[in-house]
Amino acid sequence: MATYKPQLYPGNSKVAANRKKYMDPSYKLEKLRTVSDDDIVRLMGHRVPGEAYKSVHPPLEEMGEPSCPIRELVEATPGAKAGDRIRYIQMTDSVYFTPLTPYMRAWSGHTRYRGVDIGVLSGRVPLEARERDLEKVAKELVETEIFDPARCGIRGATVHGHSLRLDENGLMFDALRRFQFDKKTGEVVYVKDQIGVPLDKPISVGKPIKEEELRKRTSEYRVEDVAFRTDKEVINFIERLHMLRTEAGFDPNRVKGI
Amino acid sequence: MAKYSDKVDLYDDRGRVFASKVPLEALSPLQNPAIQKIVSFVKQCVSVNLEGVEKSLATGAVGGKSCIINGRSLKLDLVKNAGSIADTIKKTLQVSADDDTDVKVLKGGKHLLVRVPAKRMNAGVEYTTGATSTAAALCCAIVDNFNVGIWDADLVHASVWGRYPQTMEMLGGNVSSLLSVPQQNEGMGYALRNVPCAHIALITRKNAMNAAALSSIMEQAAMFEMGDAIGDFERLHILGLAYQGLNANNLVYDIVKANSKTGTLGDVVISTVKRAIDDGVIKPLAKAPSGYINYTTDDLNKWNAYASAGLLAGTMVTCGAARSMQHTPSVFIYFNDLIERETSLPGVDFGRVEGTGVEMAFFSHSIYGGGNPAVFAGNHIVTRHSKGFTIPCVAAAVALDAGTTIYTPEKISGTIGEVLSEVAELREPLKYVNEAAVAIKGGV
Repeated sequence: MATYKPQLYPGNSKVAANRKKYMDPSYKLEKLRTVSDDDIVRLMGHRVPGEAYKSVHPPLEEMGEPSCPIRELVEATPGAKAGDRIRYIQMTDSVYFTPLTPYMRAWSGHTRYRGVDIGVLSGRVPLEARERDLEKVAKELVETEIFDPARCGIRGATVHGHSLRLDENGLMFDALRRFQFDKKTGEVVYVKDQIGVPLDKPISVGKPIKEEELRKRTSEYRVEDVAFRTDKEVINFIERLHMLRTEAGFDPNRVKGI
Repeated sequence: MAKYSDKVDLYDDRGRVFASKVPLEALSPLQNPAIQKIVSFVKQCVSVNLEGVEKSLATGAVGGKSCIINGRSLKLDLVKNAGSIADTIKKTLQVSADDDTDVKVLKGGKHLLVRVPAKRMNAGVEYTTGATSTAAALCCAIVDNFNVGIWDADLVHASVWGRYPQTMEMLGGNVSSLLSVPQQNEGMGYALRNVPCAHIALITRKNAMNAAALSSIMEQAAMFEMGDAIGDFERLHILGLAYQGLNANNLVYDIVKANSKTGTLGDVVISTVKRAIDDGVIKPLAKAPSGYINYTTDDLNKWNAYASAGLLAGTMVTCGAARSMQHTPSVFIYFNDLIERETSLPGVDFGRVEGTGVEMAFFSHSIYGGGNPAVFAGNHIVTRHSKGFTIPCVAAAVALDAGTTIYTPEKISGTIGEVLSEVAELREPLKYVNEAAVAIKGGV
């Protein structure tokens, strides 16, 4: 038998290929912009840049841990070792060819990052982790190709907008007007943090990705481009799973060789 | 004769081999004497908070929060006299001199661990005998040993039994059993599933392997009572108990070890699939145009056991790395999503764990109330759907938490978890179940 190679996701389309790429931790995400560490901290709003991390419990070394073979085996993340609080970054992704669909945020997040807690809701995806671990993850989420300044929103609250039409500048609707299009520079700037608290100075997250480039990079099936129903391989996969789950619920012993 | 031909190797909680080629059914709750003893102890063992009774009597604070009867007070040195109270309780509960009644004094008399004799339990049909007979015996002991008069006996009753019988359970009382009263069970056979993970983590003194084992034993034993582990589904549950709960073939430990330093949840999925292929549990079926391979199996029950072991390993790696329990629902959803996409075979419990994860995520992340994972149990409205494969992971995650929650397992559990950790079979179930399996393997 040929050596097993992780395959991650079925599908025979551009979108499926993008999904596989983003879910594959050996693929290095392309960096498209630079946002400083301090600005990432400001955008999330959990602490002031330079401020010490607040802790929820003493560092593991100081508090001592119960005798447990799994604790001895599994190395804690730097944030967990230090006793950091668990904080979050929350993303809203437009339905218009955004790089990551909500579920893709969870799938790729769990294949790329250790010790993260990701939840997918209808219009937002929080990623929670120990604070210093989170800051590293957040930087990659914002600086690389899986983020579009216009169609992805860093939104801790009042997230509404993912399914609304884009505005005249191509930006996703945001009731709190956290981000604005700067016509002079052509860049998107955040004037409020993810909760909506005004920032002392605006933070640029770069120029929006062009429409045709977004269509190349997107992991979203959408009728205007790659419609879900055209990727027969994924449809077959979904139908197969549905059938197997149902038949196994009736009698797992009868599900053999299919 | 054994119904199933499966054999497994037994390992301890540190990945050391204990015995080889043991018949699977030696781990069945129907056969394994240690599992039966654990189930029996869960019914028989009761915790008494003697310090709590003393305080209640002294202050008149009885029957739960905000209930104080001003002017009523009884100052009795119960903690100081715990030894004599324990003796009286033992004499009261004992059916015959050589039976298994036991009363242990713990923490300098603050707590008592009472084991109600099996003979007494067997004379009734309800497991509540443990709590009711202990509470009644304690009342008698206090009245007799401290010469309490008729006008104060009601206060003694209220401080021991709490607000019962105005409430269904002993609200604000100082006698507790691991099992809730039957009226609080969601359906038939749910008794063993109605134990919050906080208790499990504390009973096992936060050893994640033993927490998962104890939880899995209780969940899967409940499956037999509920009518789930019967006929076509029996082997599915015994395999689940063996591979997920009891670390059969060292599957859980091996996968955790392989991903212990840098592994992500995705890496755990890959390790699980790789092991299933190497062990011949799944094999390629057909190649799609993109090169994607559909996998198939001739033994879906065993695939489920492998996937459920992987799920526990994924929980241990993710919650262990973050030393945080809150990641459990995310693991339930996305471990299954990822393993289904990796193999095209159904995830743990054929989709039920994933569904459970979705609900649990809502109810454990504040927005819709609920609570942290330590309050969840197999009987919980949000986590009851998976048939024994979810809660062992939650128990392990609670054990691995370093203190990230406002309501800690210690706060949620009160005295019961700590007191029952004195029972060796409950504290280290893996060891005792393995020993018992080896002892009976010839006869299975």
